[in-house]
Amino acid sequence: MLDTAKTRWHPIAASSDLPFRHVFHAQLLGREFAVWRADDGYVNAWENRCLHRGVRLSIGINDGRELKCQYHGWRYSNRTAGCTYIPAHPADAPARTITNRTYPAVERYGLVWSAEEPVDEVPAVSGLAEGDLLVLRGIPLNAPADLVADRLKDYRFQPSGRLDGAEADVTVEAAGAFSAALCSRDGDAATLAVFFVQPVDSGRSVIRGVLDSRLEGAERLAVLRHHNELLSKLRDTLERDAAQMPAPAPIEPVIERVSPELAEMPEATPHGRKAAIRVQVARKWAAADGIAGFELRPIKGLLPTFQPGAHIDVHMPNGLIRQYSIVNGPGESDSFGIGVKLERDSAGGSSCMHETVREGDVLAISEPRNNFPLRRDAVKTIFVAGGIGITPLIAMAQALKNQDLAFDLHYFAQNEAQLAFPERTGTLGMALKPHLGLSPEQTGAKLREILSGYRPDTHLYLCGPGPMLEAARTIAAELGWPETAVHFEYFKNTKVIDDSSSFEVALARSCMTLTVPAGRTILDVVREAGVDMPSSCEQGACGTCLATVIEGEPDHQDVYLNDAEKRSGTKIMTCVSRAKSARLVLDL
Amino acid sequence: MITLYDYELSGNCYKLRLLMSMLGIEWKTVPVDFYPGREHKSDWFLKLNPLGQLPVIDDDGFVLRDAQAILVYLASRYDPAGTWYPREDPKLLGEIGQWLAFADGITGTASAARLHDGLFYDFDVEAARAGAHRLFRILDEHLWFGEQEGRDWICAANHPTIADIACFPYIMLSEEGGIPRQDYPAIRRWCDRLKRIKGFIVMSGVFPAGPARAA
Repeated sequence: MLDTAKTRWHPIAASSDLPFRHVFHAQLLGREFAVWRADDGYVNAWENRCLHRGVRLSIGINDGRELKCQYHGWRYSNRTAGCTYIPAHPADAPARTITNRTYPAVERYGLVWSAEEPVDEVPAVSGLAEGDLLVLRGIPLNAPADLVADRLKDYRFQPSGRLDGAEADVTVEAAGAFSAALCSRDGDAATLAVFFVQPVDSGRSVIRGVLDSRLEGAERLAVLRHHNELLSKLRDTLERDAAQMPAPAPIEPVIERVSPELAEMPEATPHGRKAAIRVQVARKWAAADGIAGFELRPIKGLLPTFQPGAHIDVHMPNGLIRQYSIVNGPGESDSFGIGVKLERDSAGGSSCMHETVREGDVLAISEPRNNFPLRRDAVKTIFVAGGIGITPLIAMAQALKNQDLAFDLHYFAQNEAQLAFPERTGTLGMALKPHLGLSPEQTGAKLREILSGYRPDTHLYLCGPGPMLEAARTIAAELGWPETAVHFEYFKNTKVIDDSSSFEVALARSCMTLTVPAGRTILDVVREAGVDMPSSCEQGACGTCLATVIEGEPDHQDVYLNDAEKRSGTKIMTCVSRAKSARLVLDL
Repeated sequence: MITLYDYELSGNCYKLRLLMSMLGIEWKTVPVDFYPGREHKSDWFLKLNPLGQLPVIDDDGFVLRDAQAILVYLASRYDPAGTWYPREDPKLLGEIGQWLAFADGITGTASAARLHDGLFYDFDVEAARAGAHRLFRILDEHLWFGEQEGRDWICAANHPTIADIACFPYIMLSEEGGIPRQDYPAIRRWCDRLKRIKGFIVMSGVFPAGPARAA
């Protein structure tokens, strides 16, 4: 009887089955996997079905950083398998629940190993040394794995140095339910061959053999052919025998729905911003004059999926919370990179990051949030960055670059030494257009030049200091850019908030009516009443605490919504905005 | 100008479109209603090809039938570099001929299974599938050892030949005849390589591969 334990490690591929930009189609105990190596070397083993419409991901496109489904073009990130882009919803950031099921994948002995629910590590095999091996051609066959493993004990072969002989003495060194280690000796030549039998399904297997010594050139080929010939003969006999036996029912793997962790709403806590993830500062460096770069690695497990334009909250040792954009390119999912500019009038945030936080320190961060999503359906995209405003736009530009989509990145800074992350912007080629040392008037003239000649299906993404953003938005409007094509993110809201009004908020879904007195925010009052609301910057810049207005007239005081959105009166940033009417009805 | 008598869902017609696209030559198509109209058995078509089979080309009055033969003709006449069908290399020509015959075997098995499943042809589908698996095993082994020897293509050359084009379509379409390619990893990798040749085009059921290098 075939042992179908999900805890046992099995090989599912050879390392050489995962060449550059390929997706391998694997199967173990009935369950299919799409296995692919990203350009950074990480091996992904995913359930072989797009969670959208069930199409096999093994026919998808490996672009080196993401896997794109052939059916509707949904893109999934290296490592996390989280969705980063849905072409049918180009303006939206995909929800974090859109994550394909992943399985462990470990490379050992020239093979890729996996298991549904492994315990411990991939077992060590005595006699095999990493790096000094010869992996034989895998032999798929239509016979049950237990039968195959049993027959492999009678496999006879010549040691590698003595292929022309026929007198080798073969002994079984070890044998298990899915493996056999055989040693062939002929004179002074000896070769250890370890065979692993991959149970593909109840009646299908792959024989994966590994020899104990590395060979080169013609000798290597001769040994590979020697075993291929013998194993093919063994396959033919085994298939004949298996065909005489009653065919076992195929194993039917359970396709699980979204994992419980993802399916549940995050735990409601009435006290504001959450710092769910612990990261270590793996590297801190000068990303530019006055800008510190930080590489944040997870203490355990994987970081959540991020999309270009996303930011995280960083909780600092001094108790302050600040937002920083992730600068990573697509699929670069082993750490988060951020850039922190030392502000002259720092209230303690940037100075803490610059002066106190060191390499090796542990920080708490929030999950990435994306309130500045990037469309990937524009004919051309124009990025305009001012100073440290480069950070979200670097991530965006790298994503478009990877998909070979047209863009320009205009980067305004005082001088060359202030251009941050040169190792990233350097990969963008001619699309990077630095503009150095311009006065506000010269900047305005340059923006006018960049934004002249608006064409449909061009999109503009702005990030930089407030005055520059105001100027760019005004110029864009004058030059005929529709508001829907102009996307922006402010660092902070410099407006003076008028919180003198007092009004009522009715929460339509929670069936509560609350009073917001002068001096308090909607966000505070709603949370105090036990209704969970996400928030991040809490000054009307980042877009996290957005709520939908059903009735009443909002008094907008944020810098997140654009003018058309503000005029429509259907959205409100609950951390700073209030009501002009006596009552607001919110969809909360 | 080349006229291709074409059926959109035919792998044998597709292989001609594919080569012509890779060679960068122009052609026009005359659609033939293979299914359900059986136009390839109509009087007008039988005059072009008494065998009643697609594809057929007409190159300024020169009429030629048989997909493999047409590949030979197109590559000989329209490939200035002479790599797709290297007329000066007897061994390579012999190899190409060997694999063109193999491609006919794929048509007789994998394509037959697809016609059974998709267009309700009365074939012994189990025999067709078993025959295709037998051929795929041989090709996978050949390609796997090719990779070990530093050879990317079916024939012993550092560039693709019409043998690759001849074998490709009905391998890529095999799943439409109930023949999975899961057990043929070297064939799957070779398909990716072929899809990355400049000028590659798709047909229904044949998907593109990702970019070979970062853009």
